[in-house]
Amino acid sequence: MTRSPAERIADVRRLQRAARTVVDDRARLVPALVTSTGLSPEGVELALSRHVEVDASDADLAQLVRHAGDAPRATVVLSANVFVGALRALAMARAASVDVVVRPSRRDPAFAEALVRALAAAGDAAIRLEPALDVASVDVGEIHVYGRDETIADIRARARVRVRGHGSGMGVVWISAAAELTAAARALAEDIVVFDQRGCLSPRIALVHGDEARAAALGEAVHAALERLATLVPRGVLPPDERAAAGRYVATMTYAGRALVGRDHAIAIAPPGAPLVLPPPYRHLHIVPCASLTGARDLLAPLAKAVVTVGSDDLAAARELAPAWARLAALGALQRPPLDGPVDLRADG
Amino acid sequence: MSSPRLHARARALVSAFEADAPPPEPFDAFACDLARHQAAHIEGFARLCRARGVDPATLARAEDIPPVPTDAFKLTRVATFDPAETAITFRTSGTTVGARGEHVMRDVGTYEAASLAFGRHWLARDLPERVPVVVLGPSPAEAPDSSLAHMCETFAKAFGAPASAAETYLIDGDGVLDLATFDERVAIALAKNQPILVLGTSFAFVHFIDGLGKDTFHLPRGSRVMQTGGYKGRSREVPAAVLRADLARAFGLDRRAIVAEYGMTELSSQFYERTLFEPAAPLGVYAEPPWTRVVPVDPDTLAPVADGCVGIAKILDLMNVDSAVAILTQDQVRRSGDGFELLGRAPGAVPRGCSIAIEELLGR
Repeated sequence: MTRSPAERIADVRRLQRAARTVVDDRARLVPALVTSTGLSPEGVELALSRHVEVDASDADLAQLVRHAGDAPRATVVLSANVFVGALRALAMARAASVDVVVRPSRRDPAFAEALVRALAAAGDAAIRLEPALDVASVDVGEIHVYGRDETIADIRARARVRVRGHGSGMGVVWISAAAELTAAARALAEDIVVFDQRGCLSPRIALVHGDEARAAALGEAVHAALERLATLVPRGVLPPDERAAAGRYVATMTYAGRALVGRDHAIAIAPPGAPLVLPPPYRHLHIVPCASLTGARDLLAPLAKAVVTVGSDDLAAARELAPAWARLAALGALQRPPLDGPVDLRADG
Repeated sequence: MSSPRLHARARALVSAFEADAPPPEPFDAFACDLARHQAAHIEGFARLCRARGVDPATLARAEDIPPVPTDAFKLTRVATFDPAETAITFRTSGTTVGARGEHVMRDVGTYEAASLAFGRHWLARDLPERVPVVVLGPSPAEAPDSSLAHMCETFAKAFGAPASAAETYLIDGDGVLDLATFDERVAIALAKNQPILVLGTSFAFVHFIDGLGKDTFHLPRGSRVMQTGGYKGRSREVPAAVLRADLARAFGLDRRAIVAEYGMTELSSQFYERTLFEPAAPLGVYAEPPWTRVVPVDPDTLAPVADGCVGIAKILDLMNVDSAVAILTQDQVRRSGDGFELLGRAPGAVPRGCSIAIEELLGR
């Protein structure tokens, strides 16, 4: 029996209510999430308290339902995303189908498992867990994969049904000439701290309309804001390979531009005209002075395919800068997109 | 100290090597003088020294010189001199996403002297006379910013019997191999009983092998092959041992006559396997010229790793007079005897979450 859009929205709302119970009852979940995510306890708390999408308008959910389409079964493979992303992934699958199978991330299964259990407790048994699922065995419906390009390609090669892939990405920020830098920096720092910048919406690059001095002023303001936030939400443990990447980035930018190294972060100000480089995650921001929006767009072009969202104090300018598929967000709201579809709006195959 | 005097000191090291004489001065002393010169003229390097707590004025050990990551060559000018003084610019090969690094030189003579001396030592020191040299790569005219093309040209001029560019550089701008000219030059060398020196990149050799199929293309006795570089998506990738075996079979040479070279645009020196002249030298172990040191370091702390352990290559190159005497590569190496093994590019950090990794972006 085909469900109406209203019924699909109701099913998603039931999932959201289950998510709320998970959030409300999070005390037992936090230690497992600290271990599996590598975030600090405060980082997990921040993610659970402010970034689980338990609220959505009917219009957003109607849009999500349209994105989701219809499938006799939706198999969800959660390979790599931020842990709260499981809710949106399950919402998309539940909107698409009355029969949802989930293979949680091996590294980070706790939140997805808790969600499915909470939903079952609320009387919806449409979503079930299959941690050992082999995608090659799926012969009905479609597979939704959240993971690296390599993972998506591997599953596409082995699957017998349609695969909808949602890959990795990044956020970029445009700071207009009119922006008040201290306020912009505070908002931007909040976007960076969430999930220790390991989400595909996390801002990694800030393009600043103005000269090197203005870029440096933003850098110093973000540096101060991140220093303050580090006392409230410390960064999780930096793995050795990420420490090496961070050290290399800081050394490179110390040589080529300017680097501001804080307790739990590093900010670099690139020299004008230098090609764009991607800093490592875990609270690193690459700030680039741009003489114009056009110049910024040209600079961003080689990396544009990885851009999932563009944040700005000037959303009209952000629209001009952003690739067609990218979400737009106000500074401080990059990590809170409406629940209206996948966060990554690039074609999902 | 002025740059010309530093170049003169660098070339004196090369001359001493060629004369089989002891180095005229200690490695560390010259390395530290170069670091001081570079810190005095490159604000970025001075900043890096300050950030590392290093005072160039009091530097005494080469190992204390902060290495410049190769990425810096992509983002800024790594040079002690004004752009107007640039004599030559070498560029790294580019990718769709990645910027190209630039190594500028105002006196290419030091680069050429060092390249030639060590190249001759491991590729041509037994040759009594000039021999035919062919390059499976583009000519310097077609690739004026390629340090490899420049080095091959230097070798062709120094070791090669007179030949035109068309007879020497056998791959055109479209990557097409001029097999007929190669065949002709080999035929003449065979008739004269002359060995031939073949210089080429790994991907050019793979294309050559693929084109040859099961046929062979035997070179005269005493011939040798210098093979260098990675693949960068320009051919299928072949493990080093397989490529060596394939080349040996195709050219009718002993595997030890296939000599691997390791170099990079950001350096002025190169490294070679010793296999052509030292019967006991292991395959895959590279010799350093006495004016360089390859130090495997921990990628996080940059401290040297224990003997026999794998680290990323920190390379001290005393021929990098006007750029960076110490560089930090992304290649993994391990010390082995009095050389080092090259173990490929260091893997990037393991992705955790859905933020895109640098390696993934470069791979798209």
